[in-house]
Amino acid sequence: MANGSDGLNWSKILAGGVVLMVMMVISLPTLIVLFIGMLPTGVAAIIDRSEEKYGTFCVGGLNLCGVFPYITTLWFVDHTVNVATGMITDVFTLLVMYASAAFGWTMFMAIPPVIASFLSVMAQTRVKTLRALQREIMEEWGPGVASTVDDAPLDAPPEAPHS
Amino acid sequence: MAEQPLDADEAGADLPEGLIPPDAMEEAGDLDTPDAPPVGLPPSAASSPPVMGQGPVLLRDRYLIDSGKPLPDLDCATAKAYAVADRRDLARKLYALICQPGLPTRLDAVRALKDQEIRGVLPIAEWDVITWPPIGQQALIIVYELPLGGRVRDRLARKEVKITEYDMPRRVVEPIIEGLQALIALGGPHRAIRPDNIYFLDEDMTQVVLGPHVVSPPGYDQPLVLETLERAMAMPAGRGMGDSREDIYALGVTMVLLLLGFNPVGEVSDDDLLQNRIEHGSYTAICGTARVPIQMIEPLRGMLNDDPTSRWDFNEITNWLTGQKINSAQKKIINKSKKPLTFRGKKHFSTRSLAWNFARYPTDAIKTINSDDFQDWLRRALGNKEMADTIKGALQAAKFHKDNYQGSDDYVLARISCILDPMAPLRYKGLAFMPDGYGPLLAVEWIRNGNPQSAAEILSHDVPALWFAEQPRMYRELMDLQKDLSSLRGLLGINDPGYGLERALYAANPSVSCQSPYVVRDCVVSAEQLLPALDGAANSVDTSSQPMDRHIAAFIVARFDEDIHPHLKALASNKAETSIIGMLSLLAFLQWKLRTPAVLGLSSWIGGLLGPAINAYHNRHTRQELERDIPRLVRKGSLPELFNLIDDAEKRREDNEGFEASRAEWLAAEEEIRDIEGAGDERLTKAERTGQQAAAMFAIIVALTVVSVLMLVEMS
Repeated sequence: MANGSDGLNWSKILAGGVVLMVMMVISLPTLIVLFIGMLPTGVAAIIDRSEEKYGTFCVGGLNLCGVFPYITTLWFVDHTVNVATGMITDVFTLLVMYASAAFGWTMFMAIPPVIASFLSVMAQTRVKTLRALQREIMEEWGPGVASTVDDAPLDAPPEAPHS
Repeated sequence: MAEQPLDADEAGADLPEGLIPPDAMEEAGDLDTPDAPPVGLPPSAASSPPVMGQGPVLLRDRYLIDSGKPLPDLDCATAKAYAVADRRDLARKLYALICQPGLPTRLDAVRALKDQEIRGVLPIAEWDVITWPPIGQQALIIVYELPLGGRVRDRLARKEVKITEYDMPRRVVEPIIEGLQALIALGGPHRAIRPDNIYFLDEDMTQVVLGPHVVSPPGYDQPLVLETLERAMAMPAGRGMGDSREDIYALGVTMVLLLLGFNPVGEVSDDDLLQNRIEHGSYTAICGTARVPIQMIEPLRGMLNDDPTSRWDFNEITNWLTGQKINSAQKKIINKSKKPLTFRGKKHFSTRSLAWNFARYPTDAIKTINSDDFQDWLRRALGNKEMADTIKGALQAAKFHKDNYQGSDDYVLARISCILDPMAPLRYKGLAFMPDGYGPLLAVEWIRNGNPQSAAEILSHDVPALWFAEQPRMYRELMDLQKDLSSLRGLLGINDPGYGLERALYAANPSVSCQSPYVVRDCVVSAEQLLPALDGAANSVDTSSQPMDRHIAAFIVARFDEDIHPHLKALASNKAETSIIGMLSLLAFLQWKLRTPAVLGLSSWIGGLLGPAINAYHNRHTRQELERDIPRLVRKGSLPELFNLIDDAEKRREDNEGFEASRAEWLAAEEEIRDIEGAGDERLTKAERTGQQAAAMFAIIVALTVVSVLMLVEMS
């Protein structure tokens, strides 16, 4: 618990609370849509324990893509709590928001194995290339070149007679 | 003592054991026949039959030696004589002595005496090592002026000339002494003065000269009676060079034999003669019952004195010859005991007699030495408590060292022998030799008898130190000798090629030919002869083995006056390629320095062995290039060029650098492969993380694009 208490960044919480309070005062409809629409991102942030939070970014990015058209509607058509409430109670709207988040999550799950397979193929190709290089060196310089023991060089030859 | 005519003392009659007489050499009964291959000769070389035959051979393009014209009257005990014709001066009378291969000669004396005109010494006209058809191999041949008057002894025996006691000083002694002094000035004593080795140089029999002395080791051919007492107790090969005192003694005995016309001790066995000389002194033992002319008694007493320091020297002989006052020889009193010590049923009154007999019967000697009677005899009968204490100390030391060679019976006996008779030869395991005779002894034991073990032990166990430790006075010559033997011991202790017993053999015997099985038939006595001999051997030996064995390496070090230690170091390497290059470099250096002509056979032989040296290069193309070039250089017969091709420093540097760079490249590739293959889960995790990152980036980009597009659409 002590660690948990130490890990809390009270200044950030305070800043977040202040921003939240300000947004509640000046842009409550947007806040309502964002809060409900970005719930999957919140969930992803909670369950993504990695330091880099790639999952959160992935879900959040696509989740935002699903939410932001409704935000723009609010901003440029009618920025009221009723409209906002109407949006978050519309199943289709929620489907769009959450489906985009789900697509983000799917992408987060699918892309890494694809990338890993690709890198593996690349590595095998590199190994083959290196093995071929080693064979070439050994043919040119003999098996001694593969020795990991540091062979002593040939004893210093005696004085060469002049022909 | 029965009298025996001088004629009975035929050449070779006193031939040492193990030596092949000249007759036997001609009858192919020596070690150079196919039935009796030389010691150490490999089957391939030994099985090739020698080309035997008769006919003349040409020495140095001038002297025609006819093997069909032997001159038995001029034979030496170890060398046979043949007629020689000088092609440039047909009137010149010459003869040649064919030295026995394998027997050390005195080549240094040959070199010094060539073309020297020394009164009293038979002149040497020429020498060389050439193929001698009767034995089918090369031999050292020495061409002498023909002594037209023949042997003095034979002329006397046939009464064709008479030398009285009045003639002896002027006619015989004076020229011989003059010759001996000249020989000493040239580097060494004669050591072969005996009645059958003194000649009349001219037909008128006015000039007396000493005969050949260079065909065998010093004193080797001498009958026992003509050797000083100490050296007579040594084996023929181990009698050593000695100095002028040995020559003066031999001259004294020779005078006795020539004056009497017979050998007064001719029928006395060697052992009995030695025993008599030990007990009564040499003069008494030899001249005791003979009628020696009264005016010769004093000089003979002086020359036959057993005490080297009291023996006449050149000055006293010159005084005698010139009629000046001479010092009467003081007879040295032999230190005898009051009561005898009985050993093997014989009574002994002196330590010298005991020491000699102890060495002859070592098993009984050890029992006697350890007995209380021996100690009592030393202390009471001999009255020499100091010697008794020394021997007691030696025995106690032997008990302390009972687990090593210093406690062995042979070593103890050698030490006791030195204590009992410090001036006598060293005696060890049946060998008896003077320290300055170690070299010839080693050569004869190894080359002639095929067993160098005991001779090698003498060095390795530092037996000579026992002799030097007992010397009453260490004068300069003795100290030099001790240093030389210590040096030999040091060489023996190193096992690398160029050292060991082989090196000791050649270092101690400057004229011993190279005993490598490859060239043993070629009688190689100098470095200049080695490469041509190996070149010839290339046609008949198994060329899968190296042309450089321990004998050849040691021979080169001993006979080639250049610093070749770097070559020897490479030759001794455990790596085949370094050893081959060391061998090639040494032989190439030899060819280059001695300006030896092309050696096609040898270069072909070596060319076939260069595989490891070629393989020492890492680069395949370089190796192929070398293999392509070697046959071309082999056909030139130039070892230096072959060496330069194989061991080109620049090429080797490039090869090494290229190899190191390639090895680094190979290792880098290997590390990368291991990184790729060994990553496993880590690599998977990394790939997933990369995928997640890519997905996140894609999502953010899409979001930003959508937001931007929507904002632009709404605002437009």
